[in-house]
Amino acid sequence: MENKPPLSPHIQVYRWQISSLVSISHRITGIINIIAISLICLLISLMFLSGSKHETIDLLLDSTVGKFIILGITWSFSFQILSEIRHLIMDFGYGFDLKTTKISGLIVIFGSVILTIIFFIIGKSFV
Amino acid sequence: MVQISLPEKSQIKKGKYFKDKTGSENLKKVNVYRWDPSSGENPRIDTYEVDMDNCPSKVLDVLNKIKNEIDPTLAYRRSCAHGVCGSCAMNMAGKNGLACTTPHADIDGDIDIYPLPHLKVKKDLIGDLDGLYKQYQSIEPWLKSSSKSEVTEIFQSKEDRAKLDGAYECIMCACCSTSCPSYWWNGDKYLGPAVLLQAYRWIIDSRDEERQARLKKVADELKLYRCHTILNCTSACPKGLNPAKAIAEIKKMLATANI
Repeated sequence: MENKPPLSPHIQVYRWQISSLVSISHRITGIINIIAISLICLLISLMFLSGSKHETIDLLLDSTVGKFIILGITWSFSFQILSEIRHLIMDFGYGFDLKTTKISGLIVIFGSVILTIIFFIIGKSFV
Repeated sequence: MVQISLPEKSQIKKGKYFKDKTGSENLKKVNVYRWDPSSGENPRIDTYEVDMDNCPSKVLDVLNKIKNEIDPTLAYRRSCAHGVCGSCAMNMAGKNGLACTTPHADIDGDIDIYPLPHLKVKKDLIGDLDGLYKQYQSIEPWLKSSSKSEVTEIFQSKEDRAKLDGAYECIMCACCSTSCPSYWWNGDKYLGPAVLLQAYRWIIDSRDEERQARLKKVADELKLYRCHTILNCTSACPKGLNPAKAIAEIKKMLATANI
């Protein structure tokens, strides 16, 4: 009597590559961005509706948690922008060489951090 | 469907430990996935201490040494031992490849060996590839031309022939398809990199007259567009081919042609 065959391990044993890491992060940041955009829209409409009373929102954004959220969203958008450019180039059929995918993946990862800092500095000058 | 964890009966247990009997100084631990269809138990990891001083250079040599000298019950596929037949495709140190072309010196620490990911296991390192072969059949991997041209030789220019380079060398070892997370979650519908590379090979063959029909057949939300350029396929291919690029070329053809 043969027993029911097991499923061989997959994500549990497969080593992460730079390309697969960027790919899954692209999805996750995409979901975060949709939620973030909705929240930002809600926040802006609240500001309009409440007239001159922005205290609660100011307080929220000035707190450590608020700053973390702002930075997180900035990074999430930065990552999505760079990763999307990478995907667009791939859709044209370029950059599939193994070495190129590695380099472009690293550019996305490190570039997103640099872009976050740039956005943060630009944003800070407006405050 | 995405299922991260393994089903209960597929969970891996700790197995036997085979201590070295040669008294060698240069030992390496080799962890091998084992499953015996006759026992009804869960899969397990057996650990073997292998004497590396008397072992040739590839992972397949390590497995042969285990089978010949330590544990003859170990089951795995192998044939040519020269990276041509594609039989010994497996997951070594977290990456798919051919055991016969992967040097064990490239693997730091213990050598972990699993069957190709997300397949039904037949025994030990042998995965069931029936689904993949059925999908391969579904793309009709043979030359289709009208009866008129069957009388004479079909000429192909050097440039047209060059288009097949990087596609015809595929040995169907399934390293790429079983490395693809999309294929793990949707392997019943998504064709996967190996089959799509072959589909591409026939689409771009200048001698084939069914190009439009082939493109139409593959243009499907699930069959083709489940590829999200994760690129595990290209990094796994032991022949250095680029299935991800082939899939991108098919997508490009579909986007630019009127079908």
